[in-house]
Amino acid sequence: MSDSHTTPTSTYRRIRWAVWAFIGGAVIISGWALVLNRAHAEEKKAASAGATYRPEKPSDEQLARGSKVFFKECVWCHGPEGAGDGPGALRLWPRPRNFNAGTFKIRTTASGELPTDDDLFLTVTNGLPGSAMPSWEGVLTEQERKDVVAFVKTKMVKDRDFQDKDEDFHVISFDGQVPSSPDSIKRGQDVFLNKGKCVQCHGPDARGNGNLTQKDDWGFPIFPADLHQCWNFRGNRRDPYNPRNVFREVSTGLNGTPMPSFADVLTVQDRWDVANFVIAQCPKVKIDPITVKPAINFVLTSEHVDGPLPTTIDDPKWNGQDPHFIGLGGQITRKPQNFNRRIENLWVKSLYNKDEIAFLLEWDDRNESHAEGTNLPAPINVADLTIPVAYYANKMVFDEMKPTFGSLYPGETYPEPVIYNDAVAIQFPAMWQKLTPPERPFFIHGDPIKPVDLWKWQSDGTAVAYTGHGIEGKTGEDKIEPRKTVLKAEGAQFKDGVWHLILKRSLKTEDVDNDVQFEVNKYIPIAFQAWDGDNGEAGARMALSAWYYVVLKPLTPTTAYVYPPFVIGGVFIGMWWVVRKAKSMQNGNGHSGAKKK
Amino acid sequence: MATFWQPGMMPIQLLLTLGVLFLVFVIGHYFIKKSFGKGLPMLAQGTLVWVTAYLFYKYVVQPPIPHSLLYIYMGLITLVLGLFVSANEASWTETKKPIIDTLVGATPTYRGVRTAAFVALPLLMGWQTYASIAPPKEFPEPPELRTVHPAPPQAIKVQDRNFTLQTAKNPFRVDVKGDYLDVGKEKAFFDSNPFDPKAEGYLKYVREGGAVFFRNCHFCHGDNLDGRGMFAFAFRPIPANLSDPGTIAQLQETFVFWRISKGGMNAPREINPWDSAMPPWEEHLKIDDIWKVALFEYWHTGFFPRTWD
Repeated sequence: MSDSHTTPTSTYRRIRWAVWAFIGGAVIISGWALVLNRAHAEEKKAASAGATYRPEKPSDEQLARGSKVFFKECVWCHGPEGAGDGPGALRLWPRPRNFNAGTFKIRTTASGELPTDDDLFLTVTNGLPGSAMPSWEGVLTEQERKDVVAFVKTKMVKDRDFQDKDEDFHVISFDGQVPSSPDSIKRGQDVFLNKGKCVQCHGPDARGNGNLTQKDDWGFPIFPADLHQCWNFRGNRRDPYNPRNVFREVSTGLNGTPMPSFADVLTVQDRWDVANFVIAQCPKVKIDPITVKPAINFVLTSEHVDGPLPTTIDDPKWNGQDPHFIGLGGQITRKPQNFNRRIENLWVKSLYNKDEIAFLLEWDDRNESHAEGTNLPAPINVADLTIPVAYYANKMVFDEMKPTFGSLYPGETYPEPVIYNDAVAIQFPAMWQKLTPPERPFFIHGDPIKPVDLWKWQSDGTAVAYTGHGIEGKTGEDKIEPRKTVLKAEGAQFKDGVWHLILKRSLKTEDVDNDVQFEVNKYIPIAFQAWDGDNGEAGARMALSAWYYVVLKPLTPTTAYVYPPFVIGGVFIGMWWVVRKAKSMQNGNGHSGAKKK
Repeated sequence: MATFWQPGMMPIQLLLTLGVLFLVFVIGHYFIKKSFGKGLPMLAQGTLVWVTAYLFYKYVVQPPIPHSLLYIYMGLITLVLGLFVSANEASWTETKKPIIDTLVGATPTYRGVRTAAFVALPLLMGWQTYASIAPPKEFPEPPELRTVHPAPPQAIKVQDRNFTLQTAKNPFRVDVKGDYLDVGKEKAFFDSNPFDPKAEGYLKYVREGGAVFFRNCHFCHGDNLDGRGMFAFAFRPIPANLSDPGTIAQLQETFVFWRISKGGMNAPREINPWDSAMPPWEEHLKIDDIWKVALFEYWHTGFFPRTWD
């Protein structure tokens, strides 16, 4: 203010501006720093609070409320004594948690310790994606979820006591997060392969196929997680791409499973790096917030290419498109019902040229399998119980549960342990052009009136086109008949827990009644099925998708560039004519404008 | 309040929203009139209503309505608006005035608008022409309308037993003494524990029905009966949300029995049976199990089946 008597020169004005800018900047930066500092301090407080975390003792009223929730919602799988043996457990693998020993996988506490109330609350709230445990948010109120947690930890955990003074709760700190970057991911890969030896169980390509002979604390076979499917990480808290969840699991381990804590082996930075690496393995796709699976688009497109179609899976021609996610459920509509399908999804690409169409199919399968008696790689010795193929996991569950629930289902038996070929199929309606949408053949291999054209490839290398007439209801027989149509299977290989395969056929054939005839720019129904041979899957026992559509994307026709100029000219002339007409009308009898004023 | 805006609007939600919109328009226009001395010009009113209706049908109504239906609705609205503005000579003249002023270029502003229109409209139409000929970047899913609750048959045959749906009763809807429990009376058991070893009658059958549900149905219909079980993401149509008031709460118990027994593939055409993964459970379960599971579904969701009277 002292400068009010002098005339501000331009230099002076500039200085004043600089001072104000400096002060403004300083205020913003210090304010920001203050906020950051606070956040940091709070995080530290939360972390250091861990050492002294003590769960509160629930009141009797809360336990009574929690009991009501438990015996309405949870008991069906977790059992009346919380031993993980409810009626639902019979067909579940992964199995429902047995609470009795206080063994919980998803925790923020150190390895072997009991979880915090918040850990359990978040598990109930978010569910355990990839298992039958759903999210209870929106079903149970926050209070009900807290009540049932209190009930479970007090009454269903029988071997340990959350109030026991000897129980420690060392809550991990999430400090020192390393943001994901190519460097961090590369360091994480080194941790995965060398320092952490994660590769030993999770496999060379992190598809969960490194060691398939492990068991959980209850003696049930357990597979390492497939790290390419982060939406199925049990502890992902419905936030699959958040490395925080992976950091937590690497730090705390998963109690009751062979997954140990790496807190003593790996530094904080190592653990963040490996978490970033794990998240980077997972394809980045849009996640459906309700199902916590990749969002499904029921229309897949086939792109046109000039020249020949690729014959190998790594041909650069495939690089032009993102793989299309196809979700698979178990075939439980007809006999034999497949409640434990092991192949959850396929990734599909498609290309066509003037003669042929090709589909590139890729899917995760922990184990390559071939039917006995084929001359390809030796089949797994199914008599050897040390190989916990999914079949045995399911059978063990069945055998254990049968005495309890056999009285309800006296006739039920488990199928014979047979290993079949891994297989995959693409299905089209025969003569789709003659069906009025949305009519289609029945989505499970067609029906007696409307057949399907089924392209089935098996791991013995055969690719056969079948006519499908559905599944026989009484016997579960898959009513498919082979045809002579030429299908080409190329580039088939199993590598590091993934099957890759190209299936090809000419766009048109002579057998128009049975072979699907491809037309450009049409919605052609298409469906997919997959069989995991060492899960006893064959015939009607399979994993399958709903009907999708495939559209052969047309090239842009030249008319797209010819017509618009004519349209532009035409519209312009039309408008000009209307204006002239309006003017002449106004000048002629002058009623519309003059009347107004 | 958060649960008010569910995907899949109920008719009452739709009517309420439309009512609120109507009130907003009437009151808003009243205040504009009061503070400016005159209301919005007719053309502006019409355009505003038209645009609001379009945005409402296109973005607010859930589930999204198919394009063909949208065109019909918008056509109807255009017609009604046309009738409204041309109801009498004065309002028709008022509506026409800005259009004619633009055409003849009555003032410099109108001339500017006219010039802009002369550039923009032909270009827009040209671009439209290109876009309609060139293949789209994304191919949208064709709309497929289906009925959720088809008309039930008079009678059905399940495992060689005949059931007349009008008269059939759930044999497990019984009290401790084995007498039929009228719909509504089971409410007394809604808070009871079916795993109570002393549970008898209704409650015991709820437990047995739950055992059937959690061995067979939850894979699609979900552990919390919301239609989002483990397999649900792969199937289309998605499995029924039994906890929604629009499903089993609207139906008779015998209707539920029919749909469970015969599944999707044997249902009438209007539900698109070729897409349904719902098994004909008579192939897999005993008749008693099917009745019990229906009993369990009503117990668990707290709904009552509809009755014939």
